[in-house]
Amino acid sequence: LRPALTVDAIAHMHWGFAMSERPLVAVVDDDISVRESLPDLLQQVGFAVQAFASAEAFLTSDAADATSCLVLDVGLPGMSGPDLQQELVRREKRVPIVFITAKGDKSLQPRLLAAGAVACLFKPFTDTALIEAVEAAVGMR
Amino acid sequence: VEPPLESPADEVTRLIDVLNELRGIMARPAVWTGGEPPRIVNTSLDALLRIANELEERVAQRTRELAIANEALRDSERNSRLVVDSIPGLVALLTAAGELEFVNHQILDYTGRTLEELKQWATSDTVHPEDHAHVAQVSSESFVSGRPYEMVHRLRRSDGVYRWFQNNSFPLRDTNDHIVGWCALLTDIEERKRAEDALRESERESRLIVDTIPGLVATLTPAGEVELVNNQVLEYCGRTLEELKQWGTSDTVHPEDLPRVIEIISQSIASGEPYEIEERIRRFDGVYRWFQVRGLPLRDSDGRIVRWYVLLTDIDARRRAEDALRANELNFRLTVDTIPGMVHTMTATGDIEFVNHQILDFLGKTIEELNNWVVLLHPDDRSRVVDHWRHSVATGDPFEAEHRVLCADGTYRWLQSRGLPLRDTSGSIVRWYNLLTDIDERKRAEEALRASEQNLKLIIDTIPAMAWSARPDGSAEFFNQHYLDFIGLSAEQASDWGWTAAVHPEEMNSLAATWQRIMASEAPGEAEARLRRHDGEYRWFLFRANPLRDAKGKIVNWYGINTDIEDRKRAEVDLRRAYDSFADAQRLSHTGNFTADIVAEEHVWSDELYRICEFDPGTKITTQWAREIIHPDDQPSFDAGFARSLDGADFDLTFRIVTRSGKVKHLHSIARMIDRVAGRPLFIGAIQDVTETKSAEEALNRARSELAHVGRVTTLSTLTASIAHEVNQPLSGIITNAGTCLRMLDADPPNVEGARETARRTIRDGHRASEVITRLRALFSKREFTLESLDLNEAIQEVIALSRSDFQRNRVVLQSELADGLPNVTGDRIQLQQVILNLLRNASDAMVDVHDRPRQLLIRTEREDEDRVRASVRDAGVGIDAQIMNKLFDAFYTTKSDGMGIGLSISRSIIERHHGRLWAEPNDGPGATFLLSIPCDAKRVAMNTAGE
Repeated sequence: LRPALTVDAIAHMHWGFAMSERPLVAVVDDDISVRESLPDLLQQVGFAVQAFASAEAFLTSDAADATSCLVLDVGLPGMSGPDLQQELVRREKRVPIVFITAKGDKSLQPRLLAAGAVACLFKPFTDTALIEAVEAAVGMR
Repeated sequence: VEPPLESPADEVTRLIDVLNELRGIMARPAVWTGGEPPRIVNTSLDALLRIANELEERVAQRTRELAIANEALRDSERNSRLVVDSIPGLVALLTAAGELEFVNHQILDYTGRTLEELKQWATSDTVHPEDHAHVAQVSSESFVSGRPYEMVHRLRRSDGVYRWFQNNSFPLRDTNDHIVGWCALLTDIEERKRAEDALRESERESRLIVDTIPGLVATLTPAGEVELVNNQVLEYCGRTLEELKQWGTSDTVHPEDLPRVIEIISQSIASGEPYEIEERIRRFDGVYRWFQVRGLPLRDSDGRIVRWYVLLTDIDARRRAEDALRANELNFRLTVDTIPGMVHTMTATGDIEFVNHQILDFLGKTIEELNNWVVLLHPDDRSRVVDHWRHSVATGDPFEAEHRVLCADGTYRWLQSRGLPLRDTSGSIVRWYNLLTDIDERKRAEEALRASEQNLKLIIDTIPAMAWSARPDGSAEFFNQHYLDFIGLSAEQASDWGWTAAVHPEEMNSLAATWQRIMASEAPGEAEARLRRHDGEYRWFLFRANPLRDAKGKIVNWYGINTDIEDRKRAEVDLRRAYDSFADAQRLSHTGNFTADIVAEEHVWSDELYRICEFDPGTKITTQWAREIIHPDDQPSFDAGFARSLDGADFDLTFRIVTRSGKVKHLHSIARMIDRVAGRPLFIGAIQDVTETKSAEEALNRARSELAHVGRVTTLSTLTASIAHEVNQPLSGIITNAGTCLRMLDADPPNVEGARETARRTIRDGHRASEVITRLRALFSKREFTLESLDLNEAIQEVIALSRSDFQRNRVVLQSELADGLPNVTGDRIQLQQVILNLLRNASDAMVDVHDRPRQLLIRTEREDEDRVRASVRDAGVGIDAQIMNKLFDAFYTTKSDGMGIGLSISRSIIERHHGRLWAEPNDGPGATFLLSIPCDAKRVAMNTAGE
């Protein structure tokens, strides 16, 4: 019997560190279905994931410091995604950000990227697009 | 020749005297010496001799006559002498001239002398020489005057001893009443004389004493005549002795006393017993004073009463005192017998003395029976009372005790016995005056009171109410324990006005005013107010106060009870709220309800039903009336439905009525027969005015068409973007889930369970997308837009009523400040209400996460200017960023996770349709305010809906 391929083993093969050292991806979106589906997807490809319903919830959590990549919704109630981006800059926390948005406003994308975002994905996006964006963000670190 | 003498003896004597004289003359020698008598001489001599002879003859004759006359006399004298001799006294007979003629032998024996010797008494010592003069004088006077005499002198006894004699002499007369002799009786009074002397001597001394003693003294004869009185008597009476001797017929003795005095003295005189009388004797100035008069007999050695000595003692002062005392006592007895109380006196030694009638009647005993009064005491009280009484008797301390005594009817009754000693001037107790008071009823009342007080105290402290009392000025005096426990104050803290600290500030003024009013009215009253419990919780109480009045009707105290009416109050509030809600609900839903006894014509209609049918409230409804307003076209179906309901089927019918004002209304009625009362069917049911619903359906249609219009006015791109956002969210989920699902299946080994889960989510998100589309379709369906003149306040109130439960669930405190006299506006009621509802819900949602302050929601209306009214909804929620303020009214913009973001954009388009304005402003404090402003009727703006 060959030993089962564990998530740790896959992670090790990909990035050279064990699962316990898997990079943490934070998902911030007020839509419940996004908060359910994205973590599953990202864990499936080897990331550790924490989901938050609002920018404020993320800021006040422990995850803020440990996050390797932030998947951030633009149209959040309260503090919006761009607001959070600004706030993190102000706090000198250089967390790579992958914006996601359900609005079709294409003019938003350049602004966000200019402000330092790794990517800006329009819902609905493909799983591959997201994984690539996140991996890109983690790799940037 | 001389006239014949009166008596023969005198005649004889005179004749003899003459004869002897004649013989003397003739015999005188001188005449006859010297010669022969001359012739003349002879003649004279012869004449003389003849005369002498004649005389001798006459003498002889007269002597014979005399002798004859005296013969009888002599016999009689002889007899007399015999008698005299036999008398056991000393008797002497004397001649008319006083010559001693005869003495009886007792005299001879006594004197030891002969008659001859005795005849010489005047020159002998027979009579005591000292008495001679007296005897001679008295006797010679008597012999001359012929009157009897009486004298006392000493007479020599044969042995030479003189003894005193009383010499009583009286004349003996002949038939011609000539004194022929004297008879003297000598009585030996030596003994008496001596006694008299001694007596006189003693009397003299007595008299001295009597006159000098400071008392009134009198002597009476043995017969009772006044004999002597002393000077004091004379001075006192101001009368002479002679006058006093007439006391029996004068006013010396008080007329009232006189008969008694005479009787008593007479009896004493007769019996010889001493007497003692108290009588009033007149003083010189006419004043009568009381005397004690004591008479004592003085007896001689033989026991005969010689004299009475009478001592008069002035006892007026004593008598008056006694009279006064007697009067007092009489008065006292009269008084104590007439006073309506029970009085008795006890002697200084503690024995019963006098008992008034009331006591005797009360006890049913005689005074003799009361001597042993102790047995009448209740056995339980006996020793106590007796000890107490003994103590009082011994010490003179006033006596007071309450005890039971056996009464006439055999029962014991409580008496209060009070005794006070009467003291004389020296301070010694004379007697005790005791007053008995029947306190049985008081005692029983006291016992009852004590029992009831005890009971009352128990009640007061245990009743689950708060009892109190207040003084006439309203300040509190007493609180029961329950009260104090409740408000958590001590009696001192609560007294006066301290308790008001526990009164809820909101009721303080009204409670004080009510309390003042109750006190002013002096009648029982009540008030309601909240009181703070010791733990700070306020509860509602009903204060009830009753005045207590004294006999004059003056209020002496107020008594009150506070009853906890919190539950009642809550129930009242709930009931009122329920009723209000019910009425509101009926009004808002245009639903009335009824019960109807068709046969007995007893119909009970709710207010709303009256309003719906446009009957005057309270009008007596009849079945006929009710049926008559049914639209004629609908009457057949109504009757058919009614007939079915009599068989037990539910009555459920929509029909029209024509009201008195001619208005046609659509009513939906649901009713059923719930009972048969005495064979009569009893219906209960509800009737809803569905006229507006019908209108609303139409209005809804209009709103839908309006929404279509909204869609057109919104730029297509914005709409597209909005729809895309709504749809992209679930689509994003679908794609992600589907991708994840594939990855899980591709994994080695495949994560089938995870794949299934993601597939399920894919399906769910697909449905979500579908729902979004459905909602969009519903929203964008076409409806009509109808205009009417409406009261914005009323429209708002309806919305509030419908939303109230939502607010309560979300713990939102809704306040409304709707301006009075707001002019009507022209518009679509349903659409405006939808706008208001939308604003209220937004506000409510904005406060869901607020926990640190009240979720206050204020809706207000006001007149903006001459022709516009304004409504505003202010929340205390999260507020709106200035940044997004401009985006708020964009279609599909939302800050809510589950919102679609079209509420405000549609609201704004509705308001703009009314030529109004809808905007938002941040608050000074937390939250935001949404405002709308629309024109009012006064300046009606023509609204064109036809082209939309």
